[in-house]
Amino acid sequence: MKNIIDFFKSFLLLELLKGMSVTGKYFFARHITVEYPEEKTPQSFRFRGLHAQRRYPNGEERCIGCKLCEAVCPALAIKIEVAERADGSRRTTQYDIDLVKCIFCGFCEESCPVDAIVETRVYEYHGENRGDLYYTKAMLLANGDKHEAQIAKDRAADAKYR
Amino acid sequence: MINIEIDGKQIQTENGSTVIEAAHQAGIEIPHFCYHKKLSIAANCRMCLVQVEKAPKPLPACATPVTEGMKVFTHSEQAVKAQKGVMEFLLINHPLDCPICDQGGECMLQDISVGYGGGHSRYHEEKRVVLAKDLGPLVSAEEMSRCINCTRCVRFGQEIAGQMELGQAFRSEHAEIMSFVSGSVNSELSGNMIDLCPVGALTSKPFRYKARSWELSRRRSVSAHDSLGSNLAVQTKNNRVLRVLPIENEDINECWLSDKDRFAYEGLNTADRLTKPMIKQDGKWQEVEWQVALEYAANGLRHIANGAGAEQVGALATANSTLEELYLLQKLMRGIGSDNVDFRLRQSDFSSDGKQQGAPWLGMSVSDIGRADRLLIVGSFLRKDHPLLAARIRRAAKSGAQVNIVHSADDDLLMNVAHKAIVAPDALVETLTQVSKALAAEKQGQSTGGDAGAIARSLAGGERVAVLLGNFAQQHPQAAQLQALAQQISALSNGKFGFLVEAANSVGGHLVQATPGAKGLNAAAMLATPRKAYVLLNVEAELDCADPQQAMAAMQAADMVIAMSAYKHHATEYADVLLPVAPFSETSGTFVSAEGRVQSFKGAVKPLGEVRPAWKVLRVLGNLLKVDGFDQDTSEAVRDEAMKGVDVPARLNNAIGGVEARAASAASGLQRVADVPIYATDAVVRRSAPLQATADAAIPQAWMHGDELKKLGVQSGAVVKVSQGQGSVQLFAAADDKLPKGVVRVAAGHAATASLGAMFGTISVERA
Repeated sequence: MKNIIDFFKSFLLLELLKGMSVTGKYFFARHITVEYPEEKTPQSFRFRGLHAQRRYPNGEERCIGCKLCEAVCPALAIKIEVAERADGSRRTTQYDIDLVKCIFCGFCEESCPVDAIVETRVYEYHGENRGDLYYTKAMLLANGDKHEAQIAKDRAADAKYR
Repeated sequence: MINIEIDGKQIQTENGSTVIEAAHQAGIEIPHFCYHKKLSIAANCRMCLVQVEKAPKPLPACATPVTEGMKVFTHSEQAVKAQKGVMEFLLINHPLDCPICDQGGECMLQDISVGYGGGHSRYHEEKRVVLAKDLGPLVSAEEMSRCINCTRCVRFGQEIAGQMELGQAFRSEHAEIMSFVSGSVNSELSGNMIDLCPVGALTSKPFRYKARSWELSRRRSVSAHDSLGSNLAVQTKNNRVLRVLPIENEDINECWLSDKDRFAYEGLNTADRLTKPMIKQDGKWQEVEWQVALEYAANGLRHIANGAGAEQVGALATANSTLEELYLLQKLMRGIGSDNVDFRLRQSDFSSDGKQQGAPWLGMSVSDIGRADRLLIVGSFLRKDHPLLAARIRRAAKSGAQVNIVHSADDDLLMNVAHKAIVAPDALVETLTQVSKALAAEKQGQSTGGDAGAIARSLAGGERVAVLLGNFAQQHPQAAQLQALAQQISALSNGKFGFLVEAANSVGGHLVQATPGAKGLNAAAMLATPRKAYVLLNVEAELDCADPQQAMAAMQAADMVIAMSAYKHHATEYADVLLPVAPFSETSGTFVSAEGRVQSFKGAVKPLGEVRPAWKVLRVLGNLLKVDGFDQDTSEAVRDEAMKGVDVPARLNNAIGGVEARAASAASGLQRVADVPIYATDAVVRRSAPLQATADAAIPQAWMHGDELKKLGVQSGAVVKVSQGQGSVQLFAAADDKLPKGVVRVAAGHAATASLGAMFGTISVERA
């Protein structure tokens, strides 16, 4: 009996039609894939991408070298050295993030008492050489300067939840 | 004993103790700020409020004495409400600058506010601002707004340091801690205020912004700078010593540390550290490999030992070298056939050698000193030479002990001194003889007049008498006689006598016999009759020796000087080989403290550059010179070998006999009284920038009695020419009417006076 049913199924191309109907359904359904890089997914204002160091509007760097981010970093990706600046304030002389180690958990951002270290929406960056992804203070500050408008907007949007 | 109940726990406690003490005994934590077990009760922070049954209001646990059957609740609703209320008030004016505060991470206010603080502040008005104060180079008071007015620092000054250098001025919200008119805090114990401060108001100036507390690794160590043997926690980061804190040890340093121990570390990584072996060739210094330097040194020694004779080789070490180093040094010298080895560089009278079998020591335990009821302190710049022992004696004096002084200078000891006899150095023996005679007469019921009589009467009335010989007495040209007299006096008063031992390992040096034997030369003789070769261990000849002139002459005349040192110092002028050896923080080793406590420690950091621990250097030198028994692998092995068969308590013995009375050489003219300033005692301390910026490290002056100045016809503050032997220096004259007449006090151990001669003896002063 089973053999007879199988014979008719294959003779009438039933399986083929079944498969084609699935294909046909998706052919007319709404697309859900994103055509990266032409298209991009929407981002949360809490998106955790490339790090940046922020400044105050008067140009003064925010970071005071409290090292809370260094202490909290689970991947030990942050390295900070601090010294007293000529004006007596506490400032970093070195602030490095090794993005190869970083796991983008956002703890650094969360622990920062002055919103100095932030994670931006930028995720399109790469390194071609060993060490390219070792971000120094100058690079992080440059990131901050470049994206400050977006960063400020995102902090403002997040403020009411904090 | 009293029975009380705290949080339902039955506790037996001593009558007269307070609730907080009872709670701490039982391991119950009560939050507190102003309470400190070593200080008086102030009860002004109110953080320790607890509920006591039948009391209408919460009571401060620190100021409430226990009573029989008392029931205390430390975490009841009422208590916690009170504690939270106090916390909220304390936080009203406390700035929110924990992220940049050096106290962050080890702050009592931070810790306790986690438990008792609110999530937000209800205070929206302006916060109080207290202006920064300048308290000198050690204690930073940059952020006095952080102060919660617990007054621990004030009480420490009054009660432990003996001088109230900080006080609380103004009232209520305007109350602030400030120094008096003089400005800076000059106490030699000032660093303890940093530890005591429960918040970040008083912090360490050299440590400012250097590291956060959680980044530091902690290593146990032992103080290398005085003979107390204070226990240290050396805190390091990235292979550098960044801070030194006390480790509590009730029998030694309690919970304190002198500024010398605390801030000396700043001298460890200075630019003049010697990091590579160097040899001098054709008058030029060259950096070489260890192998080359060691072979050069060994060949030089062998050459002189074989040629001129081994007795032409002398070894000098400082008394803060470790036990292992001193042991190997003497073993090396004896191995090549020389008996000339010594570490008592500032001693001038060696006539007790051979008459005293044991190692001179404190004669009692440190805590015994605190329990003594009559003390006689002979020849000691007590406060500066032994800051923490002085604090112990100060406390004893406060609780009724009578402190008597026989000395050649009358510095303020910041304690009640019962009687004192301030005499010129050559009259010290005579004065002590008088005390001894008066004491003998006192036993017969006869009373003697004068200072000596008063001192004798004071000693005769005591049950626990301690006679202590200070550094000045040990360096005195009649030291043996002083020792014999101290022995006599202590025997007459049924007391104990001992030495306020000069340096960290003086006792250890005696234990491992780093002293010349019968045919050897002692430190003074080695320099008086110059040798052809010297081996120096940590020695800076012009600063560490009793007679810098003589020492330098001997060094310059020598054919070969091997200097093992952590620093490039004046040895570059006379040495032939410089071997970089590790200071105490970079080597493992052992110190034997004044009371005979053998304390070993490990290196806190790795040696800098090519520096090697001195015991390893000596070991290899031993191998190169083919001396037997130089095959130890660890410093522990060296220590075990050195201490094998050494019964420390049995070896500690101050008893001396057969000292013949020798009159002091008749002094004509002025006599020198030389102290070694507190921050000039050893190589590391001398290089610590913050310590050198303190008032105690000021350039030495020529202190004289006002009448002596008048005789010279100079005013205080005028420049005078001070000469001794072939050397002379120009110093400022200064008047100190408490000095005996006929003496000039000129400090030793300082570069400014290094061209002068012996620490004792005649000295001339003339108008410049």
